[in-house]
Amino acid sequence: MKLSTKHLLGIKDLTTEDIQLILSTATNFKDVLQRPVKKVPSLRDVTIVNLFYENSTRTRFSFELAEKRLSADTLNFAASNSSAAKGETLLDTVNNILSMKVDMVVMRHSASGAPHFLSKHIPAAIINAGDGINEHPTQALLDAFSMIEKFGSLKGLKVAIIGDIMHSRVALSNIYLLKKMGAEIMVAGPPTLIPKYITEALGVRVEYNVKNALQWCDVANVLRIQLERQNQPLFSSLREYNLAYGISRKLLESIGKEITIMHPGPINRGVELDSDVADGPSSIVLNQVENGVAVRMAVLYLLSGT
Amino acid sequence: MNIVLKKITISDSKSPYNGLVKDVFISNGIVAKIDDNIIVEADKIVSGENQILSPGWVDIFSNFCDPGYEFKETLNSGAATALAGGYTSVFTLPNTNPVVATKSQVEYIVNANQHLPINIYPLGAITKNIEGKELAEMYDMQNSGAIAFTDGLKPVQNAELVLKALQYIKATNTTIIQMPIDATIGKHGLINEGIHSTQMGLQGIPSIGEHLMIQRDIELLRYTNSKLHITGISTAKSIEMIQQAKAEGLNITCSVTPYHLFFCEEDILNYDTNLKVNPPLRSHADMMALRNAVTDGTIDCIASHHAPQDWDNKVCEFQNASFGMIDLQTTFTALQTVLPELSNEKLTQLFSSNARIIFNLPNVIIEEGAIAELTLFSRTGNSTLTESNNLSKSFNTPFANKQLNGNIIGTINKGILSLNQTI
Repeated sequence: MKLSTKHLLGIKDLTTEDIQLILSTATNFKDVLQRPVKKVPSLRDVTIVNLFYENSTRTRFSFELAEKRLSADTLNFAASNSSAAKGETLLDTVNNILSMKVDMVVMRHSASGAPHFLSKHIPAAIINAGDGINEHPTQALLDAFSMIEKFGSLKGLKVAIIGDIMHSRVALSNIYLLKKMGAEIMVAGPPTLIPKYITEALGVRVEYNVKNALQWCDVANVLRIQLERQNQPLFSSLREYNLAYGISRKLLESIGKEITIMHPGPINRGVELDSDVADGPSSIVLNQVENGVAVRMAVLYLLSGT
Repeated sequence: MNIVLKKITISDSKSPYNGLVKDVFISNGIVAKIDDNIIVEADKIVSGENQILSPGWVDIFSNFCDPGYEFKETLNSGAATALAGGYTSVFTLPNTNPVVATKSQVEYIVNANQHLPINIYPLGAITKNIEGKELAEMYDMQNSGAIAFTDGLKPVQNAELVLKALQYIKATNTTIIQMPIDATIGKHGLINEGIHSTQMGLQGIPSIGEHLMIQRDIELLRYTNSKLHITGISTAKSIEMIQQAKAEGLNITCSVTPYHLFFCEEDILNYDTNLKVNPPLRSHADMMALRNAVTDGTIDCIASHHAPQDWDNKVCEFQNASFGMIDLQTTFTALQTVLPELSNEKLTQLFSSNARIIFNLPNVIIEEGAIAELTLFSRTGNSTLTESNNLSKSFNTPFANKQLNGNIIGTINKGILSLNQTI
């Protein structure tokens, strides 16, 4: 079986068969990761560059670990201490790296569409590790994997995505994926952080009251407040955000049913999630991180052409 | 130079020959004779099927980037591009470096104009250094040759200043030109805010910003009873507002770019930076409303908004790409492709006569004894802009390698026949 696409630029471009293939391949790799010897030779002699134009800990480590578990050779690039800081363009940087015979590019970039731009100009397979406010496809895949692990299927599952929807690539990728896989989706947050045309554009419900959203859903995927991506004030203070939209144990108890809490990390504790929720029994935050490696191994393996 | 145009259709509602197929003899820059069959000795005889002769075309909003950004365009390359697009007169934007906000900068362009085959009319800035803070010396610039006033790509945001500018120019009967962009709304936006921007994960530019700006400027126009031209309108609602202001009797006119008539937001597939323009490409319904407004006469002129950008400013991440496209060479063919039903007379109004009236340009009438500033074009056939026939120094255009309808045959201006070599 093969993916219908050469790159993973976004969930938007994937078919449901592609998504199923990635998730089932990830299940196999998750089994591999439980073994005493966690390394497989699948990508031996494949060279992958991790091109991170934006800061990342979790995603970068997760990709790097996935590459190493697959026996690929890896190069790491961080924009802050590289030629990008000297003003080199994205295309120049990538062409220079590719001339050293690199096969795949994993890229995170602050500009929406940056990996799409790159895909028009270079021959290597590109995996989007987050582009601006557009997509973060591997996060959506690992979120889906984690939800399926817990619920068995995404069909009919009620997922509330809560927080800064406007600046979240996690939200957009999750919406595309959940929609394709038959889940029901609600977005919730302050009206200034929810795109005006989201219902028409993406077919999701919108809720401004977080308690209503929690009462409706089976899973709450709580997003990080992206202060670094907001170029204008969209709410008055973090304190007020926590008062109105923060999720506390008390709030969860008041809705009288159990729901699963997810978060793509890093968590702003005391802002969007209180610590006793983030670390509580209904949280699957660390499962998400664990599954991330298996899902990224699946993506790398399927796109490597081996 | 003596030129004979054989069997051409004259399109000029002010001419007694309007709609007729005639021979036209041009001698030393003057229309010497119009008749059924002229046989004289000529340096050049132009003949061909289905050729139409119009008073020379005028573009009112082009960026020639000179001085300061000569790597994108120069007055020379801009003039050559304009000629190939059928233009004999072009208004150049003041957004150069230094900006055109003083007499000496106006004179730089006026002097260069003497050696160019087209007539370049500099637009002067409304505010000093285009900073939107203080009025520039508009009387002085007008006396030196500035045709009208605008801060061009950075429309004046301060309402008080627009009010004063509208009042100030009443003494000299000129026009303020504004682009309908409210810089405080959607200032980080990249494409039209809507379904498409949400699906593509790109920050939006809401159309309400355009509407607030037009509404505000109409109020200021009503208060000052001055003269305003809004260029680059992009929505159905903008048309409605301008229609109402016109019906009320305000001295307001407007223009649209060819690309807002040709493309809409749905065409921005795969983050194509050549379609990153401001005002942005709007919805399909907006595009259709603009086409209707061209047909029904609400829109007075086609304005190219020719905006050359070098390779590095366009072949990059969408967010980092500059706004704008080159399109002087394809303005007519783009229009002919999307609105083939327009009459010859309508085309002449949109490309020439309306601008000449609004901006007090020399009246060009196709009659014996008149100065020959003429555009010769054909509505049949087709043409394609390619990297090899492109005359601009830049090549940032979504029209590249696209077959469009119609052809520019050539222009006659300053006594010179410039046949279009690019077809």
